[in-house]
Amino acid sequence: MLGFLIGEALRDLRRAGRVAVSAIVLITLSLAALGGFWLLSANLARAVANWRERVRIIVYLKREPAASEAPALVERVQGVPGVASVVYLSKADALKSLKEILGKDASVVAQLPANPLPASLEVTPAAAAATPDGARTLLRNLQALPEAEEVAGSADWVERLSQWQRLVTTIGLGIGAVLAVAAILTVTTSTTLILHARRHEMEIMRLVGAPEAAIRLPLLLQGMLQGLLGALLALGALVVAHELVAPRLEPLVNLTLGLSHLQFLPLASLMMLLAAGTLLGALGGWLARGRREP
Amino acid sequence: MIELHRVSKVFSVGPVKVPALSDVSLRIAKGEFVVLTGASGAGKTTLLRLLYRDDVPSDGEVQVLGEDVASLRRSEVAALRRSIGVVFQDAKLLPARTVYENVAFVLRVLGTPKREITPRVFDALRTVGISARAQAYPAQLSQGEAQRASLARAIVRQPSLLLADEPTGNLDDAMEAEIIDVIKDIRAGGTTVILATHQSRLVRALRRRTITLDGGYLLKDEG
Repeated sequence: MLGFLIGEALRDLRRAGRVAVSAIVLITLSLAALGGFWLLSANLARAVANWRERVRIIVYLKREPAASEAPALVERVQGVPGVASVVYLSKADALKSLKEILGKDASVVAQLPANPLPASLEVTPAAAAATPDGARTLLRNLQALPEAEEVAGSADWVERLSQWQRLVTTIGLGIGAVLAVAAILTVTTSTTLILHARRHEMEIMRLVGAPEAAIRLPLLLQGMLQGLLGALLALGALVVAHELVAPRLEPLVNLTLGLSHLQFLPLASLMMLLAAGTLLGALGGWLARGRREP
Repeated sequence: MIELHRVSKVFSVGPVKVPALSDVSLRIAKGEFVVLTGASGAGKTTLLRLLYRDDVPSDGEVQVLGEDVASLRRSEVAALRRSIGVVFQDAKLLPARTVYENVAFVLRVLGTPKREITPRVFDALRTVGISARAQAYPAQLSQGEAQRASLARAIVRQPSLLLADEPTGNLDDAMEAEIIDVIKDIRAGGTTVILATHQSRLVRALRRRTITLDGGYLLKDEG
């Protein structure tokens, strides 16, 4: 029976001809747009996650604690809510860092009469505190430490990047949804044509007492086939576009977002796109399901 | 087998009510060959449609194979129709399929195992005398051959009831005689047959129980 149903669905697909091709192309465009924006959004999300991990708050100390006092201070700051880890940098450590940054010009440091750099604590916020609000609360808490002279750092720009990522996702969903509606309507049109073409078959099927499923399933199946074909073409287009464009964009992406490469969508997302295509087709086929008997 | 009790059918055309059957009661036993006759518009086709539950009566009760057809659910209607073969004046063959495929189509949609399909199709084609034309398309058939193919499709499921609505309406005398012979053979196999025709010459030639309808009323039931 299944073989018969699939055979009828394929026969129906051939009957729909150009309208089925239009429906498949629209599903391809819809899912390619959705997948393209999803790919962009996923890479922006990676950048946001990377940069969130790199958010640091520096607490400059009023005076350098004695070597014996430093561990206790670190332990106390570690206990502040929203702090993931704390590294103590003595005045000497700070000067060493400066020399490393200056490189061949490090000799200028020797001209200084004394080490002007303050001792500091480098605070890594916990994930929950790596948001603008979380970071602001953490800044206030660190500012309240009696040893703190000044506290520097913020997560605002990471949040702005995160907002861009959300915007890209929303645009992708919007464009994908508009094209998906067009695709569903086109599948519905092609299925209506099929219904017209196979009205004699359906009449005979009803006359001989065929189960309703045997009459309607081929319609649903051909819709699903249109959707699946569209989704496969969309995935193919995404793979080709990624292979062609990613190597050219990666230097720019590395420079601006700090990502070494543009990742393709993971297998689970690809499966979701295939399922979405099949579902779009099925919905189109279902909407054109035709009349039932009295 | 079949029992109609005070059956009426009224069609609504906008505000106008058009009676097609009025207060018809009759009984048909298993294995009978009944001719249903009357002029065009007498209600023959409406009565047949009620029997295979293509429509429901406006009033009264229609019992077919022990079932009150009006109260059947969709799946029960399908089950009832599996026991009924229907042929029309127009053979209603699927033009893109061969004679073999047209007959096999019925078995395939009903989920018949593949190995049973070919022998059963050829049995039916042999019964109606058209097995040599199995690979022909409907457009390549004469009207008589098309009607035989339609009969083969109706009997391939070995129905207990065959409804034939003007099956010889489009045929010349020779073809008509061939089709009637085939229907008689089918009935000889134990199938109950109801043949609707407006051709009084054919009614006389058949010499069977004849139910005459006139303007939706049962005028005569004789023979």
